[in-house]
Amino acid sequence: MRRALPDVLWTLALAIVAALAPTLLKAGFDQASVSYLSLASNAMSLGILALSWDLLARTGQLSLAHAAFYGAGAYAAAVLANATGVPIVLALPLGGLVAGLLALGLGSVTLRLKGIYFAIATLAFTEVLKAVVQELPTGLAGGAAGLNVPPLFRPHFVPGQMQRWEIAFQRNEAYFYVYAALLVLTIAVSIVVQRTRLRAAFTAVRTNEAVAAVMGVRPARAKLLAFVLSSALVGMLGALEAMRLGSVIPDGTFAISTTVFALVTPIFGGLYTTLGPILGAGVLSAVEETLKRTFAEGYLIGYGVVLVASILFMPRGLVGLATRLRRRRGGSGTPAAGDAEGPA
Amino acid sequence: MMLRVQGLAKRFGGLVAVSDLDFEVTEGEIFAIIGPNGAGKTTTLNMISGLLTPSAGRIELAGRDITHANSAERCHAGLGRAFQVVQPFPEMTVEENVMVGALYGAPGTSNAVARRRAADALERSGLDALRDVPAEELTLLQEKRLEIARALATAPRVLLLDEVMAGLRPAEARLAVGLVREVRDQGVTVVFIEHVMPVVRDLADRVLVMDYGRPLALGSYAEVTADARVIEAYLGRDDEEDEA
Repeated sequence: MRRALPDVLWTLALAIVAALAPTLLKAGFDQASVSYLSLASNAMSLGILALSWDLLARTGQLSLAHAAFYGAGAYAAAVLANATGVPIVLALPLGGLVAGLLALGLGSVTLRLKGIYFAIATLAFTEVLKAVVQELPTGLAGGAAGLNVPPLFRPHFVPGQMQRWEIAFQRNEAYFYVYAALLVLTIAVSIVVQRTRLRAAFTAVRTNEAVAAVMGVRPARAKLLAFVLSSALVGMLGALEAMRLGSVIPDGTFAISTTVFALVTPIFGGLYTTLGPILGAGVLSAVEETLKRTFAEGYLIGYGVVLVASILFMPRGLVGLATRLRRRRGGSGTPAAGDAEGPA
Repeated sequence: MMLRVQGLAKRFGGLVAVSDLDFEVTEGEIFAIIGPNGAGKTTTLNMISGLLTPSAGRIELAGRDITHANSAERCHAGLGRAFQVVQPFPEMTVEENVMVGALYGAPGTSNAVARRRAADALERSGLDALRDVPAEELTLLQEKRLEIARALATAPRVLLLDEVMAGLRPAEARLAVGLVREVRDQGVTVVFIEHVMPVVRDLADRVLVMDYGRPLALGSYAEVTADARVIEAYLGRDDEEDEA
């Protein structure tokens, strides 16, 4: 665990920046800070989505069910809020629990499938879960029309002492902190995976499952653990987003685009790393927002061009590009096999 | 008895690859399996290591029935194996490759013990200086060493070696023979398949000769190489050659 220190330091640095950000934004931008906070929450949401998806990818399994677990968490929050009187804050852990349990069930039967077969099974699961939610009694899950979800925070407006925009600021600031906390939790889980023996198991299973098993790794167990962790985290995100957006609806909450963003972002940033998906989420959010402001219409075309170009020219994402540049500047980089060969 | 094979058989459709195979390997023994091409040596080793399911028979490791155990369970029971076709994890360094076996080979291994075991396996297989090199940059000889180091790191009681000497120069083979002896001296039982006869002579306590999937002879190197049936299996009978 000695090597974990830099990770802990940069996570801590990120946490401090996050803690100060709302105050600094408000001081610097006044009313405009309201939308900046909202953008920051969107970026962190993409980061959580991407990094949680990457956890399973590290075992070599490509899941197309991330939208399903996101939706399961969101619906768990909505049903909890509408059917019971328990405090809404419990919706967060509940969303994670429901998604984690679903992953345990789905993973037990599908994780023996490899590559494209697992991907298709998880894609089918997303559609099935959406259909099931739609067919549930309307009184429980709202059918095709969905449900309203109460907000996690209700701003306190003090007339005379506050300006009207500060209501929105207060609300966005509160959500900003919860997103930051969930992001830090996701990063912490990722760092634990990367800095303990789990990394050896996940990487071995990804590169050669049969050989990993001969060396004592239990591939089924490693993949199931990754799947449950990955899904529980995105389930919590789904619950949080449901509260921030105020409603859930089958077509939107289980939208396949959620899965697409979950896998495109780590590919863009750098797969199988903690930094890659986070970096990818930050850069892609900034690119998207800039394009949106420049071309109100058709900005998605520009977004697509950026993605295609980056996948063509940065096969290992932003993190891979950075490593390549550093090696080139530092000369030889890693020792070549020839250097270390020595007498046989 | 460390390894016991009883009535082992393997059929591929109508083809009988191995049948009626019985043998026992005692603790600390170096046991060789030889025979002409197609004799069923590798099929036998694959059944012991779990790559193939036997059509009949039973395999015991230290008194435990492992006939139907999966790869990870066999490894935890104490079976280590080095593949004939080397398959390192290319994205990992040499040390990381070995650490996989050290961490997961024996249940309940602490990080500290695993690190020590990995360092030991690297040192014994002469990979010390290469520990931080990505496995994809190794030469074939180095990959073979890595194959053995990974198996050793799982703390095996029985080590299966499938033609690890193939492609080695005589000097390298001598080093490898020394390594296998050293491993045995630490209490590990070794079962190996080999075509290089001087290696079999130098290493094996006992030799099992297989032919057409059946045991042909079992004994010391001197005994089996003096056996008329073995000579016949390898060289053919005189009258056969006359006919040819």
